[in-house]
Amino acid sequence: MASRDSPSRIWRLRDSLYSIRYARCRSCGYAFYPPRVSCIRCSSRDIEISVSRGLGVLEEYTVLYQVPARYQDSAPVIVGLVRLDEGFRMYGHVVDVDIKDLRRGLRVEAVLRRIRVDGSSGLIVYGIKFRPTIGGGHG
Amino acid sequence: MGERRVYIGGGGAIEIDRHYDKGYKALALEAIRRLEKSYGTIEPDTLIISSMSPESMSEQIGIAGVIADYLGLKRINVMRIEMGEASGLASIAASYSMIASGVSRRLLVIGVEKVVELPTPYIVRVYSMIGDADYTGIYGIPPASEASLIANLYMDRFGYSYEDLFRWPVTMHRNAVKNPHAMLRFTIKSDSYKDSPVVSDPLRLLDVYPFGDGGSAIYLTSDPGDTAVEIAGIGSSSDAQDAISREDPLFFSAVREGFERALRMAGVERDHVRIVEIHDSFTPYAYIILESMGFAERGDSPRRFSPDSSSIYRAYVNLSGGLKARGHPWGATGVYQVYELFQILSGAWSHVDVGDGYAVAQNMSGAGAQSYSAILRRVR
Repeated sequence: MASRDSPSRIWRLRDSLYSIRYARCRSCGYAFYPPRVSCIRCSSRDIEISVSRGLGVLEEYTVLYQVPARYQDSAPVIVGLVRLDEGFRMYGHVVDVDIKDLRRGLRVEAVLRRIRVDGSSGLIVYGIKFRPTIGGGHG
Repeated sequence: MGERRVYIGGGGAIEIDRHYDKGYKALALEAIRRLEKSYGTIEPDTLIISSMSPESMSEQIGIAGVIADYLGLKRINVMRIEMGEASGLASIAASYSMIASGVSRRLLVIGVEKVVELPTPYIVRVYSMIGDADYTGIYGIPPASEASLIANLYMDRFGYSYEDLFRWPVTMHRNAVKNPHAMLRFTIKSDSYKDSPVVSDPLRLLDVYPFGDGGSAIYLTSDPGDTAVEIAGIGSSSDAQDAISREDPLFFSAVREGFERALRMAGVERDHVRIVEIHDSFTPYAYIILESMGFAERGDSPRRFSPDSSSIYRAYVNLSGGLKARGHPWGATGVYQVYELFQILSGAWSHVDVGDGYAVAQNMSGAGAQSYSAILRRVR
């Protein structure tokens, strides 16, 4: 397996690492992430890609102890199921929160954080994580 | 239709375990030795290797060629089939087509996987490759975390407690005691989860399949010979790669469609199925699969499944112990399922008798992202 991150690959992924680009079907209105060429629900190819504001609700979460290699610096990791306000769902790590303060229904916002590092002299990959909205209540 | 029928001539399998002393070649060799012990000398014209991770775990590309060379199988057609965790039944499906079309007359399928080769975080890293590398892969969302989120959603929506769902692992372990090649041949109790480490809350180690190496071989022929078992139907389907981008993450449409396609091809109704082997990689998936296959209404399978007889509706389920206790050597698992059902239908497991009922294997990848079903029947 590749033991180093590829700069060209990380650059190719910039749209999904540094922002949340989601799809909405113009035929049936279904919103989904990541975008596909055709609608997950109705198969129409009339898809509109938009950038999410990154605000949403933590629908479910789990505390992950069996963390994969290269992500162990932050073990245990909170993996969240976030429903963004635009109506689609995505997975993401939840940060800046104590496990005891987690609640289903918590308002969260997307933030740009370090995802993983390639050794001591290699690439640093940044991407989207979620944190509770400052001053936010429940959704 | 002019197609040839596809018979299972014989099978063999190694115990699923941490075989530190065996790599891919040795695992495949042992599977063949056991197949030949019961069947006799095989002379395949084709070798299909079912394997998920030789590149990522063992730095081996072209594994089918290397294994054919090692086994001394000369001048035959060789290929490796991969569809994540569903590689096993995907390989059986491809093999079925080769025999049915007449391209092959005697086909050897070997499911073989080396899983326990690195420390757990690296095994988890490889296993995570079944998800979209550009999404759940790079964001560090391993399959166990997806299964845990689904477990929480399932318990919330249908009103079950963790203990309600834990009846599944308890039954699987009890079944595995009678399966000679199962990895975890010990019983557990309804409160054994208390001593089991949390993998991703609420799922504990006992809710998750164990990491183990395996090798299982099936010999398919177009000539019935002394055969007792036939593959009557194959079906598969696919869905969005991650569960939560689908409309309903708690129902696996790919599982339903794959099963229904196999039933149609075999000309069989669900009521004729007497035994199934399903892909219970994680506790919640067992229930969702049973519901997706139509053995219970959505949310009802924990109530409908009978732990005492390990059955639901009219069918026994996972008498092998399932992925949970028999084990899950990734690309080899679907071939183990077919081997177990072949053993049962040919009378080799004396504690099980399903008469003339049909047997179904169901093998999927991820949370129902792709699913294959194979239907077997006794022919004599």
